[in-house]
Amino acid sequence: MQNIWHTCINVIQLSNLRKHLTVGQAPCLFFTQAGYLCNYRKIRESKTLFLNVMILTFALLYSRIKIIRKHILTAIFLLACFWLLSPLITTADHKYIIYFYNPETNINNFASLKKEFDVYLSSFGEYQLQPFSEREIFDKVISEKKDGIFLISSWHYKKLKETVPMEPALVAISKNKSTYRRILSVKKAINNPNLLKGTTIASSSSEDYTKSLLKKMLGKEDIVNSIKILTVPKDIDALMSVGFGVAAGALTTENSLDKLATINQKQYEMLRRLSVSEEILLPIAATPKPSDHSHSKLLRIMKEMGTVAEGKNKLNMLGLDTWKELDESEKRCLEK
Amino acid sequence: MKGLYKRVIRSLLKNSSSRRGIFFTGGTAFILSFFLLTPPVLLPSETNKKVLILNSDVSIINYSLAHTGFQSKLPVPENVVDLGSKWVDEEKIKDAIHDINPSVIYCIGTRAYLLAYRFAGNKHLVFSSIINWRRLPMGKNTYGISNELPPSMQLTMYRYFFPEIHKIGILYSKDYNKEWIDIAVKSAKDVGITIMKRAINRQDEVTSVLEELLPKVDVLWLTPDPGVISNTELVEKIFQQSNDVRKPVFSYSEAFADLGATLIISADIPTIGMQAAGIALDLLSNKGSTERVQSPAGSHITINLRQVKKYKIKLNEEALDSVNQVIE
Repeated sequence: MQNIWHTCINVIQLSNLRKHLTVGQAPCLFFTQAGYLCNYRKIRESKTLFLNVMILTFALLYSRIKIIRKHILTAIFLLACFWLLSPLITTADHKYIIYFYNPETNINNFASLKKEFDVYLSSFGEYQLQPFSEREIFDKVISEKKDGIFLISSWHYKKLKETVPMEPALVAISKNKSTYRRILSVKKAINNPNLLKGTTIASSSSEDYTKSLLKKMLGKEDIVNSIKILTVPKDIDALMSVGFGVAAGALTTENSLDKLATINQKQYEMLRRLSVSEEILLPIAATPKPSDHSHSKLLRIMKEMGTVAEGKNKLNMLGLDTWKELDESEKRCLEK
Repeated sequence: MKGLYKRVIRSLLKNSSSRRGIFFTGGTAFILSFFLLTPPVLLPSETNKKVLILNSDVSIINYSLAHTGFQSKLPVPENVVDLGSKWVDEEKIKDAIHDINPSVIYCIGTRAYLLAYRFAGNKHLVFSSIINWRRLPMGKNTYGISNELPPSMQLTMYRYFFPEIHKIGILYSKDYNKEWIDIAVKSAKDVGITIMKRAINRQDEVTSVLEELLPKVDVLWLTPDPGVISNTELVEKIFQQSNDVRKPVFSYSEAFADLGATLIISADIPTIGMQAAGIALDLLSNKGSTERVQSPAGSHITINLRQVKKYKIKLNEEALDSVNQVIE
């Protein structure tokens, strides 16, 4: 909005320049432009920068009064200085964002999540969380944005790394582990994968992620292609839906299945563990390439979240406990 | 032997009437084999099976969420009729159903379902977002998703969130909820909870029954029983009475958040829309549906942490990752 307002002022100034520009008005133009240039956030936007240069150049060409030319030349000089110095000024506290998308969990409390994270992060500077529900939109946004870090699943990272230059830095920890396993639990009557043909599997993960994992786990592409995926909000919903007859099976984390065993033994006993996945790396935090010191600062803030109660509460909303730096074996796993 | 065949064929072809016979018989066999041996091909009308979404009022958020959930799963082009909040000419709806001639009608809300039931003839109906669907007429082609979560789902979540809760009080009316309450009592045992039920015959009994019940339970569970929560005043009174004796109230609708419900577990509406789409797809491909009316598969959870602290009930912090909305 502010951009549009400034552009309007510039256009009005330009159109009236020849007629009305007097010695008295010249400082007004100069201070408007100089003040605008001092607004370091605007300088980062190349379109605005270009517009300002154009305005000042036109003003210079149109002006017939020497003193105004002098002011305008000074403004151009200032502009050049600010432009050159802008990286140093702007990176100090420019708004940085945590871009978040995780196909492994169906997070639908985005409003609360964003609010909680933003409140927590604001105590460290101008930082925000930006969660996404659609993978395509997320992929498009992060391919263009460099002003933040990406909070993604290891599965998604492997798909993105070819197209978006990024460096994995942290991995999440839950129950003292950086990995987890998924279990395909089915009705007791289903004792082999062939019986899953044409059935419905409930999962709190995205459909493409669920199918991709099922293919790995079952190794039967035709069976998996015939399965319908019912996306539910939570793992516990997926497990309970098998008991209600809505789905023939549920793909959930091992932790969720264990949880069901402790809360509702009867529902748990209605299930059979048909297949278990390999260890999967928990979500990771990656920085775009090249990164700057603000990325490092934000990573540090994230890493320390798990050490304070308030930060830990926010991480719990994502089903995570804390973060740690990726070790060599985890990095190798991501590059596979 | 080979020579004999050749001779017979040559003599048949020489004779013109035999030749005609061979062509007729062969032609007929060819045409018949085309119909009998080729795999069944879908006729244009079958490949263009249509789905109509009949929405009671798309401006109502829950109806709109179900609508969006349905559309996210159904790859076929749909036709939409929004009945809206104003009066509608029923004849126009009847004509629209006739003109579109859908194979499946997804009815969102009671109003849409009742209209479709009257005008749709033998078409498949899939309903959702209907409170207490059992009170509605059901045809042999009616399918749907119930609006109420099964009691075992809610009780499992109660146990998960509050591991130290053991006694839950429920008010119910025998006319509306006798069967439901029996299932709930049974399901509660599976998660180590005892349900203390009290039947309400008249609304003016509510206060006295609560006075007797509340001291004996850890929490009050407010269920969608029209015999108990028939007006706003009565609901406010129930919350007030529970608060006076510092007993939390668990409920089933976001509408009770402002009144001070501690935990609200309701069906997740977009998931209901997706389930309805699953049934519609099965019907379009003539697979039928295993269950005529499915339970909702997703839950939506709201927790009021202010109330949790106020009533000093032990919360399993780990359960917070299952919460959709936190009130602080």
